[in-house]
Amino acid sequence: MAPQQAELILTLLGMATLLPLASAFIMIILTRRVMFKAAGWFATAVMAGSFVCALVSLVTWLGVPEADRRGLSLLKSIPWIPIPSTEAGHLYLGILVDNLTIAMMAMVTLISLLVHLYSIGYMNGDKRYNRFFAYLSLFTFSMLGIVISNSIMQMFVFWELVGLTSYLLIGFWFEKRGPQLACKKAFVMNRIGDAGFLIGFGILFYQLGGKLLLPAAGGASGMVEGQVVTMFDAIKTLIEQDGHSITNPPLWLTAAGIGLFFGAIGKSAQFPLHTWLPDAMEGPTPVSSIVHSATMVAAGVYLTGRIYPILTPAAHVFVAVIGLITLVIAACMALVMTDIKRVLAYSTLSQLGYMILGLGAGAYAFALFHLVTHAFFKCCLFQCSGSVINAAHHEQDMRQYGGLGKKLPVTMACYLVCTLAIAGASIPWTEFGISGFYSKDGIIAGTVSYGHALHDTFGAAANLFWLAPTVVAYITVFYMARSFALTFLGKPRNQKLFDHAHEAPWTMCVPQIVLAAMAILTAPFLMGFWQSLIVASEPQVAWIQGADHLAHGHAMHTTHVYLLNGLAWIIMLAAGIILYIPGMKFSSKIAAIPGINLLYTWAYNKFYFDALYDTFVVGLGKLISMIAAVFDKYIVDGIVNLVGLLGKAAAFLIGAFDIHLIDGSVNAAAAAAHSSGGLLRATHAGRVRGYVLIFFASAVLVVLAVVTTVMVFGA
Amino acid sequence: MFEIGIMHFVVLSVVVFAAGICTLLTKRNAIGILIGIELIMNAAGINFVAYNRYVWGGGEAGSLIDGQIFTIFIIVLAAAEAAIALAIFLNFYNTFSSIDVERADEMKG
Repeated sequence: MAPQQAELILTLLGMATLLPLASAFIMIILTRRVMFKAAGWFATAVMAGSFVCALVSLVTWLGVPEADRRGLSLLKSIPWIPIPSTEAGHLYLGILVDNLTIAMMAMVTLISLLVHLYSIGYMNGDKRYNRFFAYLSLFTFSMLGIVISNSIMQMFVFWELVGLTSYLLIGFWFEKRGPQLACKKAFVMNRIGDAGFLIGFGILFYQLGGKLLLPAAGGASGMVEGQVVTMFDAIKTLIEQDGHSITNPPLWLTAAGIGLFFGAIGKSAQFPLHTWLPDAMEGPTPVSSIVHSATMVAAGVYLTGRIYPILTPAAHVFVAVIGLITLVIAACMALVMTDIKRVLAYSTLSQLGYMILGLGAGAYAFALFHLVTHAFFKCCLFQCSGSVINAAHHEQDMRQYGGLGKKLPVTMACYLVCTLAIAGASIPWTEFGISGFYSKDGIIAGTVSYGHALHDTFGAAANLFWLAPTVVAYITVFYMARSFALTFLGKPRNQKLFDHAHEAPWTMCVPQIVLAAMAILTAPFLMGFWQSLIVASEPQVAWIQGADHLAHGHAMHTTHVYLLNGLAWIIMLAAGIILYIPGMKFSSKIAAIPGINLLYTWAYNKFYFDALYDTFVVGLGKLISMIAAVFDKYIVDGIVNLVGLLGKAAAFLIGAFDIHLIDGSVNAAAAAAHSSGGLLRATHAGRVRGYVLIFFASAVLVVLAVVTTVMVFGA
Repeated sequence: MFEIGIMHFVVLSVVVFAAGICTLLTKRNAIGILIGIELIMNAAGINFVAYNRYVWGGGEAGSLIDGQIFTIFIIVLAAAEAAIALAIFLNFYNTFSSIDVERADEMKG
């Protein structure tokens, strides 16, 4: 790659990242009066600029022959925080560009642009309209910052910014109780994950002496300034010194990998920290659509993809199991929810489970591919649900909907397309389908070979690794068909709501249409392009892995997975639509069957995770704070009060000394003066003759005294 | 032969002084007290003149007249004092319609 091209890409991506920050600052500084109405269009225009930057750099990047791009990463870093005691000497701040970065930048900026456009319609009339766009731009900036970060430290800074801005956005309508609780919950749940991130970071920092640069594995090439030794090189050198390898790793490497992955568990809402994501539905719907697609939850998967090469086999199993649990329980919960946004929220959890499972199972390329395809169709689904909610005057219960397709044809079409996309629809027995088909089936194929690879270790239980995602793929289609049928098909179940429903304004329809088009296009037409991006970064990831099951994954994909999933979407889509066209009539009967009703109740109550956390974690916290309060009240306050009492006693003694001794002596002198004055006063009787007598007598006495003295002592 | 010496003057002075003191002690009339004071002052004046003649050297041989000058001062002083005292008495009379000094006891202790 020519240096000019590299310079251009680095500059453009830097600009793409900083533009939303600039617009957020401008919107915050220019107050309501100047920027209120214009805020939406201003922010959207800036985001468009950011998207164009990302797009131009994407095109430039694709201009480089594919063979040259494999393993290519551009790195620009400047010394940031000096740490003289370490080998590296500095923490570095900068930009890392490789295949993954380029793809993510394009995806995030496009989705953010569309969400900005959608928000113009959706947030119209809100009293903090301008502030919403400032937060949204800041949110985008934070995510872009994560994507271009070139060290784990820098990533952590943006990671926390994402946490903060998501808190602001989820709690945007902070006058209401629900958003208040939801934003706190999201923030606290993320903190728990971040603690793990910090532990992993600490272990790596200690072991590697600050060499934390993050280019794709295999070393950096292209334009490199400053530190060249990357984190992966450093790890490789370090563990090989001790006679270890990635298949026989030291314990700290596993611990660091799992620790960093805990950050991803928090941000990507994986089991057991998944409970914040459905509650985050309390935020405005555009926030849900961006949180669930391009920014927040994508950050966790992206981080896992970035640290993928340092995950040891044990860490891989951990990641895969977490993903597996999440995708199963979330799909079950999505089956029974009646709130349209909650169905989509649990669907997101389930799809994130797929991605994490895919990363754990070694289907690196397809997991990250699923991140992108999912971002488009899930963003679209949320925008459609936002249009429906808008049309239904903020009624979110699907039992009140029905037949809305007649009133909202555009939204229905987009929703249907994205339902097919998430279902992985394809023409049976062929390789042609729309986006979810390629990415999800790729993940399932990866898990099949992972299950085979783990057969020796786990026995028959290893089959769960591919069986569960395959079954859940069916469930996914079913619950999406259910929400589609309940919302758009059948007869109106709430006539008043139906009569008032209307199609969304064009600023809301256009992003939906674009996203739906992307959902169709991403896979079949962009598959080749995609392969040249993400899949191209696979070999450089595999350098340290030593695992060749990825190749198996491709092989498997061509055989029975097509068969399995090729029919799934048709069967389950039909089943879901037929069952739910009349509303909940049949399903409530099914849910009442003994055995199923128990499962139904469990799933409907979110498997009691919230209750569990409330009872044990929050309860424990309350217990600890109660004990602390008692300790404070009786022991700390007791000591303070005792000291106070001692002070009081000392003051009392000193006071007594003052009053009785010092004041007493002064008073005694005064009293003496007073009484002697009283004695002398008697002589001032006011009689002149008395005075004369005293005066004369005194004179006589003085004379007598003088004479006597002279006579006794001589002259 | 009998010659008038200093002792005669001193005795005279003592008698006049004693008379003044007695007047002061016995009189309640302000004018009477003023007369008593006058007597005491004149006793002092007699003493000055007598001691000037016999002790200080103001006799036939000497020419010193310090005692006489003092006496003149005393007379002048007595005159001034009498003027002030009479003025006080007038005010006193205006206030109390009497010149009985026993009445002036408002500032007694």
